[in-house]
Amino acid sequence: MRTQRGFVAARFAVALLLAGCQREARDIGPSLPQTSPRGAADPRIGYYQDNVYQIAQGGRYFSWYGCAACHGEDALGVRDLGDGRWRYGGSFNQVFASIVRRHGSLDYATRVPPEQLWQLAAYVRDLPQHTPEKRRRLSVDQVGEPQGQHWSGPVR
Amino acid sequence: MKARLLAVCPLLHGCGGVQSALDPGGDQARALFSLFALMMWVSGVVYVVVAGALSWALWRAWRYRGADSRADGGMTLRIDRRLAQLLPLAAGAIILGLTVLITASFFADRALFATRASPALEVRVTGHQWWWRIQYRDPVSYGWVETANELHLPQGQTVRLVLGAADVIHSFWVPNVAGKLDMIPGRTNLLDVTARRLGWYRGQCAEFCGTQHAHMALAVKVESPAAFRAWLAAQRAPATPAAGRGAAVFQVACAACHAIRGAGAAGRAGPDLTHVAARRSLAAGTLTMTRGNLQGWIAQPQAIKPGTSMPQIPLTPADADAVATYLATLR
Repeated sequence: MRTQRGFVAARFAVALLLAGCQREARDIGPSLPQTSPRGAADPRIGYYQDNVYQIAQGGRYFSWYGCAACHGEDALGVRDLGDGRWRYGGSFNQVFASIVRRHGSLDYATRVPPEQLWQLAAYVRDLPQHTPEKRRRLSVDQVGEPQGQHWSGPVR
Repeated sequence: MKARLLAVCPLLHGCGGVQSALDPGGDQARALFSLFALMMWVSGVVYVVVAGALSWALWRAWRYRGADSRADGGMTLRIDRRLAQLLPLAAGAIILGLTVLITASFFADRALFATRASPALEVRVTGHQWWWRIQYRDPVSYGWVETANELHLPQGQTVRLVLGAADVIHSFWVPNVAGKLDMIPGRTNLLDVTARRLGWYRGQCAEFCGTQHAHMALAVKVESPAAFRAWLAAQRAPATPAAGRGAAVFQVACAACHAIRGAGAAGRAGPDLTHVAARRSLAAGTLTMTRGNLQGWIAQPQAIKPGTSMPQIPLTPADADAVATYLATLR
């Protein structure tokens, strides 16, 4: 009886470890979403929102497209994306629509390709879950990354 | 005999070429190659001696197999005693060999850093997933002249490469010019290179850095100082783009990440494209630079280099054609 219980526990532990392997699973290749999400229950949302790799890619494009110029760590009010309050709704399709439609002349609908908009929406929705330690870690990791039209070198 | 020669030829063929540490074209690579050759000879002699002694021991065992130990014991004992007398000699040879290698290693190391105290042309090379950002210290304005994926070196002059990484660990490796050196996020490493032989060489990222690590190559050209100065002056100059559909589409779809000095595009995330058509290859050595490859790359980057950070841009074929035509004029 005891060995059986130990076996079950071991199996559970292994399953738990293996579940971690799926968090970064990615498809490499040219099949990408070409359209916006259709509602909050679009089956493609999970592929981006539940995937650490896609969220991290969103973070990189976040700095490359220069989003941090307004939505940086010290942004306040509506520009603060980490406070968990969403002016235009916090579901995936609402955040996606806010990025695309609510930036006026920046016109991200034409300047940012669809797949990157998906990744950005996933990253932005992930931000409220960041602890201060994780935020600090990310900003250290991304020191060498270009920020929009600025790149100050790999060391700061 | 001929067949044997033919079999050896392909093996030796690997020793030369545009990406080989066995074909040095610069001072630092020469120092490393000399050290390698010395180690090769010393190890070769050691190998021959050990293999010879082993063969002799096997032969002796075979020669006296089944012999009466009392009859021949005296003989083998005599030989073993003579061998024991040779032991200090063997130990001395080992110490001598190691001393030679350590001394040579010390001097090769010194040779790599011999130029460090003197001033040199500064070139910043930064590894990105999966391309190289290259910036030359402009001798006129003292600013930086930026290009990508192609490194030009003046013959006979020392260039100080300031190596860094923007995202993950990469490694700079142009074996014909110098040994490899890691590029580590958060710090800079210095590598002095003094190229001597004119020509094109190939460099490569030598530290696994992600999906497209294998497509992170670097074209290196060693040219005469006069040609280098002319090339640098051409790189420093802004582009002289022709206005048109291609330029307009580029400004909307590409300028967020790519810069073209003189055309108003100022993105820093991707390679600087001011003189892109003057380069030898595209996408960090993935494709040769042709008008057709440019358009193919713009249309389907994820099919040509899956996982690359260049997104799939939804351009109409006519727009992709216009952008490729526009980029092909940027020489």
